[in-house]
Amino acid sequence: MLAVTKKNLRSLKHDRRTIAFIIVVPLLMIALFGYTFGGDIENLSVNVVNFDSGFNNSYIADWILEEISDREALNVLEMYGPEDADLQPSELSLEKVKNGEIWAAIIFENNFSRDAILALESMREGEFTLPSSIIVHLDSTNPNVASTVANELQRTIQNVFVSQLGLISPVVVTTDIVYGGDAEFIDFFAPGVMGLAAMMVTFMLSIISFVQERRNGTLDRLLSSPITEGEIVGGYALAFGLVGLMQATVIIVAAVLLFQIQIVGNPMLALLIIFLLGMGTLGIGFLLSSLARNEFQAMQFMPLIIFPSILLAGVFWPIEAIPEILRPLSYFIPLTYAVEGCRSVMIRGWGIEEISFEISILIIFAAVMLILSIYALKRRG
Amino acid sequence: MMTEIEKVKRIVSASKSSDYAISTHQLAKKFDDLVAVSDLNLKINRGVLYGLIGPNGSGKTTTIRMLVGILKATSGSAMVLGEKVPIAKNIAKIGYMPQETGIYSDLSAHENLELFSELYTMDKRIFNRREKELLEMIDLEERKNSLVSQLSGGMKHRVSLACALIHDPELVFLDEPTVGIDPELRAGFWKYFIGLKSKGKTIILTTHYMDEAQRCDIVGMMRAGELIAEGSPKKLMEVTSTDNLEDAFLAYSGEVEY
Repeated sequence: MLAVTKKNLRSLKHDRRTIAFIIVVPLLMIALFGYTFGGDIENLSVNVVNFDSGFNNSYIADWILEEISDREALNVLEMYGPEDADLQPSELSLEKVKNGEIWAAIIFENNFSRDAILALESMREGEFTLPSSIIVHLDSTNPNVASTVANELQRTIQNVFVSQLGLISPVVVTTDIVYGGDAEFIDFFAPGVMGLAAMMVTFMLSIISFVQERRNGTLDRLLSSPITEGEIVGGYALAFGLVGLMQATVIIVAAVLLFQIQIVGNPMLALLIIFLLGMGTLGIGFLLSSLARNEFQAMQFMPLIIFPSILLAGVFWPIEAIPEILRPLSYFIPLTYAVEGCRSVMIRGWGIEEISFEISILIIFAAVMLILSIYALKRRG
Repeated sequence: MMTEIEKVKRIVSASKSSDYAISTHQLAKKFDDLVAVSDLNLKINRGVLYGLIGPNGSGKTTTIRMLVGILKATSGSAMVLGEKVPIAKNIAKIGYMPQETGIYSDLSAHENLELFSELYTMDKRIFNRREKELLEMIDLEERKNSLVSQLSGGMKHRVSLACALIHDPELVFLDEPTVGIDPELRAGFWKYFIGLKSKGKTIILTTHYMDEAQRCDIVGMMRAGELIAEGSPKKLMEVTSTDNLEDAFLAYSGEVEY
């Protein structure tokens, strides 16, 4: 098995252009996207805790919430009122932000309306009073998402008070950043680009290598030797898994040096994720290689695999920003889990326990793909 | 010491199917509607240099691919080195040179040879010795560190042959081993083949050169997936009253009376 690994690494050593490709492409990608990317984000999951008990029969929180539901940026998953106080909804929602289930918990305290109206009155009298405050516990892992949430609330408040009532806003948004305090957009997508680049290169290398193996008769020769099918697939998986690792390392180092990204968690854990992704992708490459008669045909599979991954795996957009009809597809793309896992490790600083779900999915993905490959390779006995 | 009786016993037992290098029973392969090989019954003794001849598409390569275990037969069965195909226990004892070059063009000749020696878990010292010997035979000692992609077609073929022989197999399948090889080197190859045979190795090869076929112990003539004749070159020519195997082949093909 190691002989096959060695062979593949050696083949690469002789092919300087491919080595350059492995290193330059991810650099180019991260630089290009880093400088140019921007997008619209909608449908972000949030929780709302509304304890506002009103003031003189005015319920200002309700006005604001009504406005929120008219707009599409925020998708209120759960709404708690004063009657739910026993559930401790504030703590519950904060916990959900910490678990990554929702992006934000928006909390209106019970004297929200009173404070707002008192602030309005004192402002009218030219006095200064503390404005009323909406508390937002925010997951800033994706800075675009975080600023969208904050901007949406701000805009809603503006609409309610300034546009509709012609008043100065007596409400401020107080944010409590749960994750990614200093995160910029580059921090958000560096893990995504890492997964994407590793996947692209592993896929390309594996599909082309196997097409060549079949076409040049080398696979026949391997199969007429004592090496087992498992060793062939395993040898390849190890070689290309290592290539994926090398690439992921280049990206991490480049992102840290060029863009000063913050890595909160253990980068080794992120590399493990990339390694698993690489192994599984090798399997896809192998299985598709039997459908391609030559290298050019193999290349035609590239967009088939790469575009859905770029668009649907949450590399640049959060999954929530993807149209609802397409979202189930996201969960069929292994890259989704790799990106989510790497992001949780690098920005949220999560350990192996918190990302055990993503790791398990990727292990299953890699195992299934490799076993299918071995099965497809079985000597025609 | 072997008694006479034991010797006779050995000779008799050698004719049992388990002691043939190769024996097939009604071996057949169909690709969709195309019959590539039909009802092939081959018996090839050990230590024999066996040549399969016939036009392109007559089933020579398909037969070899079934015997080395990389292509599943549609029906029938085959035994190789006393083991049912696809063989496992004795797989290290066979060598196979596919018609496509079957070597990694992004590795050097030396790296290819080393890879295949590692697949057969060969001892490093034995490998070094074998490599030297084979590189000498294929006359590529000086180019052993060149990438295969930089070698000429004939040179690639020579490296491919060396890779099939690196582990000193008992039984080798050579699919057109001398295509694109210049006459001088071809003579060298044949000297090597005869040498292998004298060491008791079994060689199955396919060829389009009739002068090569003439040097085989047994020739099998294939046409449209069928073995139409088999025997020593001398016998095949005698039966058909021809003076070369090409005419003999045409005679057996049925168009010519004999």
